[in-house]
Amino acid sequence: MPDQPLSAPSAVPESPIDADHAAFIATAGVSISVGSSGADLLPSITRGIGCRIAPDRSRISVFVVADQSRELLDDVRATRRLAVVFSEPHSHRTLQIKGRDAVVESLEPGDRERVERYRTAFTAELGAIGFGTLFTHALIDSGGGDVVALAFTPCAAFDQTPGPRAGQPLANAK
Amino acid sequence: MTQRLDAIRECLEGAVPGIMATCAADGTPNVAYLSQTEYVDGRHIALSYQFFNTTRRNILENPEARLIVTHPHTGERFRLRLRYLRTETAGPLFERMKAKLAGIASHTGMSGVFRLLGSDIYRVSEIERIPGAALAPPPPRASLLAALRAVSARIACCRELDLLFAETLAGLEAQFDIRHAMVLLLDGSGTRLYTIASRGYEASGVGSEIPLGQGVIGVAAREGTPIRIGYATLEYAYGRAIRAATEASGLADALETEIPLPGLADSASQLAVPIRAAGRLLGVLYVESPHNLRFGYDDEDALVALAGQLGAVTLALQQASEWQEEVLVPEPPPQSSAGRPVVVRHYAGDDSVFLDDDYLIKGVAGSIFWALVRDHVDTGRSTFSNRELRLDARIRLPDLSDNLEARLILLRRRLNEREACVRLEKAGRGRLLLTASRPLTLVEAGHGGARPDDACC
Repeated sequence: MPDQPLSAPSAVPESPIDADHAAFIATAGVSISVGSSGADLLPSITRGIGCRIAPDRSRISVFVVADQSRELLDDVRATRRLAVVFSEPHSHRTLQIKGRDAVVESLEPGDRERVERYRTAFTAELGAIGFGTLFTHALIDSGGGDVVALAFTPCAAFDQTPGPRAGQPLANAK
Repeated sequence: MTQRLDAIRECLEGAVPGIMATCAADGTPNVAYLSQTEYVDGRHIALSYQFFNTTRRNILENPEARLIVTHPHTGERFRLRLRYLRTETAGPLFERMKAKLAGIASHTGMSGVFRLLGSDIYRVSEIERIPGAALAPPPPRASLLAALRAVSARIACCRELDLLFAETLAGLEAQFDIRHAMVLLLDGSGTRLYTIASRGYEASGVGSEIPLGQGVIGVAAREGTPIRIGYATLEYAYGRAIRAATEASGLADALETEIPLPGLADSASQLAVPIRAAGRLLGVLYVESPHNLRFGYDDEDALVALAGQLGAVTLALQQASEWQEEVLVPEPPPQSSAGRPVVVRHYAGDDSVFLDDDYLIKGVAGSIFWALVRDHVDTGRSTFSNRELRLDARIRLPDLSDNLEARLILLRRRLNEREACVRLEKAGRGRLLLTASRPLTLVEAGHGGARPDDACC
């Protein structure tokens, strides 16, 4: 499997995300996993519970539960580094998008509804492969705690669907 | 460590894939889904290394990693702090993961994509329960410890080897609700296992053989480690493994498949546990189920403990049978045998024996049978002692580990299952009685004799 570049290309004029990818990450019942790292090179990880993408696809915001993501939020504030994987369980279709300018933001109007729509879509997706509604709700439960957005400019994106193309930059993988 | 790794082993079964974050030397984070996570011990886990990808490159540069695993029933999530230690590319852990991965690949449509290159071993230094809701766990199945205790009590009462195997398999069904199981013993040559007892199959398959290293049973024996898979996979299907081995070696080994191995056609979960005693492998205890993910870590632990006791008792009974005083019984009056004579044909090359055109047995059990019927026909004797058989130069017991008692069980069962005109019964301690309901005509076919056609089909 080809490696992805060690350092992502510097600011790209156009988003590496096309409309199809945007629909996939913002509306499909995908599993969302978010990683960062601290200045000490310790990685951190949490689960995402929804996503918003700007109409021009220049900016992506991933929603996470603050209580469940303390280390990661500290890392993002310190290093602004972010990696987000979107994976569709039934097809294994998987994308990884990276950013170097991530910031922690409050939710915008409409984001609560996005989280709710994500919950419905993810529950349906996992339901189709045999997981019950209550199980999925536990998996992405926010415990009523604060939800924040991690907003970043996608600077690199990779196809990570298992198989011969895994790891290729998205533009080349198409 | 606030949470013990043992207590969350179920999270490593992979019902919900683990997610792992690593970071490159320049700090760039990377997230990956894991198709396989394996419990190693209370402080270590192993992850499958399948491709040289970013995760792989990162951990070689910077061994720190974070992993989230999910409980398959409660939905609870745990975050683990990991540090990469080393990669194993052979041995028990690698083989265990390779077999399991083949099942996972088959289940997820990834056969041919997932391939284990190595088992990456990580030390777990922290386990944190991620705050959030949890479902109530399902009510436990019957207590595995209570089941183990009950079966242990049953097998501790056994004084005969054949009863020991029958009681073990009956106990597995009654106490563990495991309905398909078999016991295989290692051949004295150390290259193959033969089925000595089974339960839950249409045909017992007693006498069927499997080479070391083939299928979950053969790999468990070769590596001396339990092999447990939660989904059916052709790669480890022993029927297929046997066929491939036979095809590769040509017709010479066609008798290997003459007695089919018992096995579920729709087997999904399989667990093969080595039976060891006194530092050596005696055989394999094998269980299977048509349901996915039927056997978990705790089932594996229970059966490993049971196999330990089974091994110790097997060894004790074998040794007892070698030392016990034989009780002399009078030779019974000659039995009249009537009807058309049966031709008993012996092939010296592999000690295979045919009754008319029907294959009976080969190997050590074949040579025992041939010695018995020769004495019976030549001298009219019907009773024999285990001790004389053990010393009989015509019977080539490879060494002490190839147990006479087990071979006699095998031979007796084969004769009974074939409803043969010759039977072997116990005649007091350490003695056997041979009865023949029809006259026997013995033919020594030597090394190169042509075999009956149907034996090689």
